[in-house]
Amino acid sequence: MTMPEKTENEPSTTISIPMTLAKKIEKRIKGTPFSSPSAYVTYVLGEVLSDVEDETKESFSKEDEERVKARLRSLGYMD
Amino acid sequence: MPETTAKKSQENNPQGKLDPPVNYIVSGLERSGTSMMMQMLANGGLPVAFDDGRKPDEHNPKGYYELDGGKIITRLMQNSFRFEDYKGRFIKITAFGLLYLPPGSYKIIYMQRNLDEVLDSMETMAQITDTQREETKQSFQKLNEKVLKDLQKRNDVKVLLLNYNEILQDPATLIAMLCRFLAPNRCDAQKMTTVIDKHLYRQRR
Repeated sequence: MTMPEKTENEPSTTISIPMTLAKKIEKRIKGTPFSSPSAYVTYVLGEVLSDVEDETKESFSKEDEERVKARLRSLGYMD
Repeated sequence: MPETTAKKSQENNPQGKLDPPVNYIVSGLERSGTSMMMQMLANGGLPVAFDDGRKPDEHNPKGYYELDGGKIITRLMQNSFRFEDYKGRFIKITAFGLLYLPPGSYKIIYMQRNLDEVLDSMETMAQITDTQREETKQSFQKLNEKVLKDLQKRNDVKVLLLNYNEILQDPATLIAMLCRFLAPNRCDAQKMTTVIDKHLYRQRR
């Protein structure tokens, strides 16, 4: 795992989470590089949102692949 | 193509291999400067492997520096390419082939170039006029993104991204980056620079 990015200089806001979840996070971060539950939540949410953004980006489809292959054949890179 | 029937392979290297456990690859989309990079490496004293399957022509007057005449992609898709035969030296595998890269240890120089220039050059080489140019552009853009994203997720690959257009503009800086990525004591930056021929930069945007 990479260390979470420092965000101290960014403006912050408060988001509420259930107390039971906060307790779980406190236990989870013991002995890790995360200095606080907030740092952990910021890191995890950042990762989740990044994955979601990647999924919503149009991916390399079968149609794209066929178009690329056709071009590679015309250039002599595939039979 | 089985190794026994492969075209005559060539090896430029008088000084021995680079880090022997590592496979070194020059990649990127076709017509993005991959041949120029192979020529630069060869001229700079770094070991490169290629065969005479595709001869130099008007599209690449200084040679393609490819294996199997560029059709190495088919062998990668069939998982029949013997990477162990090419450890410690550079080979050229264009972008699509990297989707089939087996686990190993790799250092990859990935060439990037203005995509419209790439497509212009492809059309000139294939002697076609693409009536679906925008769709083709998006497909190659997505291929580039997928290849780089897949490589980023792997822990057996180190990648250096180099831009063809920037190499032409500022060869000294880019070659210095290249040498730091490889083996500074093995790079002859001056000789690498002499390969760069701006007259061959024919598809400009």
